[in-house]
Amino acid sequence: MTNTRSLLETLSSLAGPSGFEAEVVRTAVELLKPLTDEAYVDVFGNAVGILRCGKPDAKRILFSAHLDEIGFIVTGAEEGFLRFAPIGSIDPRMLPGRELTIMTDPPTFGIITCLPPHVLSAEEMDRSFPMEDLRIDPGLSKEDVSKTIPVGTPAVYRAGFFSMGKDAVCGKAMDDRACFVAALLALEKLKGKAQEQDIVVLGSTREEIDHGGATVGTFSLDPDLCVAIDVTHAETPDGGPKHTDCVLGAGPAVAFGPNHTPWVRDRLFSLARQKEIPTQRIVMEGKSYTDGWEMQISREGIPTCVVSLPTRYMHTPMETISVQDIESLADLLAAFMEAPGWEGDCR
Amino acid sequence: MKELLRELCQVPGISGFEEEIRACIAEKIRPHVQDMKVDAVGNLIAWKAGRRKAKNELLITAHMDEVGFIVKRVDDKGYIRFAPIGGIDRRTVIGKKVLVGKARIPGAIGLRAYHLVSAKEEKIVPDMADLYIDIGATGKEDAQKLVQIGDEIVFDSDWVEFGNHRIKAKALDDRIGCAAMIRLIQSELPVDCTFVFSAQEEVGARGAFGAAFAIRPHIALVLEGTTAADLPELKEHRQVTRVGAGPVLGLMDRQTLYDRELFERLRALAEKHGIPWQTKRTIAGGTDASAIQTTASGVRVASISVPVRYIHTPSSTASLNDCEQLYVLAERFIETIANEKEDL
Amino acid sequence: MDILTALQELNACHAPSGEEKEIRDCIQRMTLDRVDETHVDALGNLILHKKGTGPKLLFAAHMDSIGLMVTHIEKEGFLRFGCIGGLPAENILYTPVRFLSGIRGTIVPDQAADRSKLTLDDLYVDIGAKDEQEAAEQVRIGDTAVYDTPLNLLGNRLLSPYLDNRISCLALLKAMESIDKSPNDLYFVFTAQEEPGLRGAKPAAFAIDPDYAVVCDVTPAGDQPGSKHYGSSRLGGGAAIKVMDTSVICHPEMVDRLKALAEKNGITAQNDVIVKGGTDAGPLHISRSGVLTGGVSVPCRYIHTPQEMADLRDVESCAALLSAFAESALPALR
Repeated sequence: MTNTRSLLETLSSLAGPSGFEAEVVRTAVELLKPLTDEAYVDVFGNAVGILRCGKPDAKRILFSAHLDEIGFIVTGAEEGFLRFAPIGSIDPRMLPGRELTIMTDPPTFGIITCLPPHVLSAEEMDRSFPMEDLRIDPGLSKEDVSKTIPVGTPAVYRAGFFSMGKDAVCGKAMDDRACFVAALLALEKLKGKAQEQDIVVLGSTREEIDHGGATVGTFSLDPDLCVAIDVTHAETPDGGPKHTDCVLGAGPAVAFGPNHTPWVRDRLFSLARQKEIPTQRIVMEGKSYTDGWEMQISREGIPTCVVSLPTRYMHTPMETISVQDIESLADLLAAFMEAPGWEGDCR
Repeated sequence: MKELLRELCQVPGISGFEEEIRACIAEKIRPHVQDMKVDAVGNLIAWKAGRRKAKNELLITAHMDEVGFIVKRVDDKGYIRFAPIGGIDRRTVIGKKVLVGKARIPGAIGLRAYHLVSAKEEKIVPDMADLYIDIGATGKEDAQKLVQIGDEIVFDSDWVEFGNHRIKAKALDDRIGCAAMIRLIQSELPVDCTFVFSAQEEVGARGAFGAAFAIRPHIALVLEGTTAADLPELKEHRQVTRVGAGPVLGLMDRQTLYDRELFERLRALAEKHGIPWQTKRTIAGGTDASAIQTTASGVRVASISVPVRYIHTPSSTASLNDCEQLYVLAERFIETIANEKEDL
Repeated sequence: MDILTALQELNACHAPSGEEKEIRDCIQRMTLDRVDETHVDALGNLILHKKGTGPKLLFAAHMDSIGLMVTHIEKEGFLRFGCIGGLPAENILYTPVRFLSGIRGTIVPDQAADRSKLTLDDLYVDIGAKDEQEAAEQVRIGDTAVYDTPLNLLGNRLLSPYLDNRISCLALLKAMESIDKSPNDLYFVFTAQEEPGLRGAKPAAFAIDPDYAVVCDVTPAGDQPGSKHYGSSRLGGGAAIKVMDTSVICHPEMVDRLKALAEKNGITAQNDVIVKGGTDAGPLHISRSGVLTGGVSVPCRYIHTPQEMADLRDVESCAALLSAFAESALPALR
């Protein structure tokens, strides 16, 4: 039985910002291989694992959890320091003094600059510096820097996974590798059992920039039903009910809204009740900002739902999740994989 | 047209919750179409045979969904916190009546009494997340018996005929288009047509993608309601469109450059048949055409819209004459497509 | 092909997004003998096919330009307009413009407008008409206008309107001229409606279903005084090999392949990351089951203003790199 924590640590620590996910994708495929009939990297760069039920005319459910994380990209050099732009959406307040792994081969350590208090006025101390005013310090000379770290080199937050309290873990890239782990755990629960439908797990790429991986993956795999598994905001002291919909430790969240086909969502709640899996109800009133948004409109349109893992401090190096929530999420996914219901199927 | 439109406007159907309006429309068109289906996102697609098959396959579409709200949570005292579905100006929702959930529980969007508001507060409109709906519950438990997270919330607004052939109702955008389409379906057409009553247009033309991909038309005509801003405080050029000045021919909006040749064709038709017409004086808005135009190998798109004042509010207003002319112009357009001998 | 003469020819075409006929016809004439098949699709894309047995390569360069569309005629004879594509108000003050009919005018601000917060709403086109009636005799609602500014060669540098994207179209046309033997199945798509939202490329890619795609566009250079570094390239630094723009991060395999080709063939090239501006690469790379996509761009200053600037040597480098890619042996993907 897989150790959830160690799997999370391994996956989340790898460097793989949107567009540069090759290493994470290779690892994901290796993890999918023992759990599926076929696992491969597709033309676009996504990880795909297919578990066939062997029945003729079987329907196909596609689960997507993205493997890419937010990151940075080098846009120029100045006096030995690097100019950079974000890949994905990043709060600039996270950056002063932040440690990075610059993805050269081998990787280079870098720190995001931060002017010391001694040279700042009282007003400046209150200000958040916009990203265009910050630089990365790789500790190299002016001459070496352009040679070893050219324009276009990606970078990520430096990894630093750790456990917190009894149930929480904290680190970068929980968004969304924690959900990929949940998908793996769910596949594990299906092992050796006969199934009624084909299950495909897509470790998608580029979710953070344009959902490109899920868009092409869904078109290519042409499923009858889609489930996107992503993180959602859990309550924090500065993010209460006005901003967030759920809490850490109370189970996965299933959403209401236009991106969530009612019968799929209802089936998930019904399974959760039957199997006594704690779940939370949340609302996504429009764009879900997950792979589900693109999956739903693929080809002729596909019944879709988003299942979410509550997460604090999303898009920071300190993303915090509950291990118990991951395991409940895996239970819910496995239950759905085995018996999606197919009621009200409009195709 | 008036009775049909009145009926359609009263039926609830916000984006993602279109069951009732879809059933209502389906019942009206069923005897007049060859085939009908509901797809994965909730579009109602109907095929109607005409006197002959067209050289260029024609799709006609209007969206069934309206804007509204969704229940986010029930607070400790039994008030309902909510979020908008589709684009809604929060200034227009304060103090309005709504119907919550499938049971259509009546409620009021509350605001602290004026007596209790300071001069400073009066200048600020609260965020939608700070607004609340009062359903008269005695507390959280009482409210939770009636209302659940995820329930739909619809405007409660009646149908009023007033002034100079004007109508007020909720959801004129786009039941006006739906009414025109139903009338077209109920009449004899010169050519085979596919009709799509689309779902989820208000949250991003969501239904149109899949419908267009399945149908792959050569030409698509979108029938819509569009913003009229013909109010005295705005300079002429910012008025977007004007109520009573005729249907709006689609030229360019924020998401689509309509097919130039089809626009010219509509303009010529309107001139020829004495149908008043206008174009947008300011580039604004978007329609299902944005999804349809770039589907598969591409589609030539055109649109005709009716100007609607106070669009996306419970008191949206339009001219009955404009609604009638929309139908007439659409009918003429279908005729010209029917007469095409060449591939367009 | 002489780039200057060809650019003059393209610039004489009136082809804002949605009305690309003139430039489409012009490009079609220029390429008649170089391709096996020609097709114009529903959006107005010009699709040229040079048959081959290898993998399908799609080269895309958009042929539409930004412009203005008349939306309203004021009583005083001034015209109100909407923008086709991105047209910041501050870029176009007092700019000469030209309608398809040949009518000319200039863009002027409302005298009462706040100059620090100018929007298109504050602007008019003055065509010298004395009132609404006289104006309506010369222009109609829906008529479009383009910049009416000159093309000049300044040493190695071009100063001209609409280098975005005619200079890249020319780089692609020059590449087409010099492709000798290609093992690949080549599609050259001059796309329509890129400026208002990358619209033509999506259906073109769907219809063609390529294995690889290379987009040719201009890219903002970051080499002006006080540059905010929206782009990493500089004029004269060579063909800009696209790594990232706001619509795409190019697959590393494509970036590496283009860089290797540049090095092998002695073509000056530079890595290109921009944080403002998207291209046809956006819709191309996520077409159907995905397309490995790269970009070869001409570094350009003052994009979308009435006078853009690019370096002729960069254009030559782009043309050389594009034809090298077209001729290269690529792995079959299916």
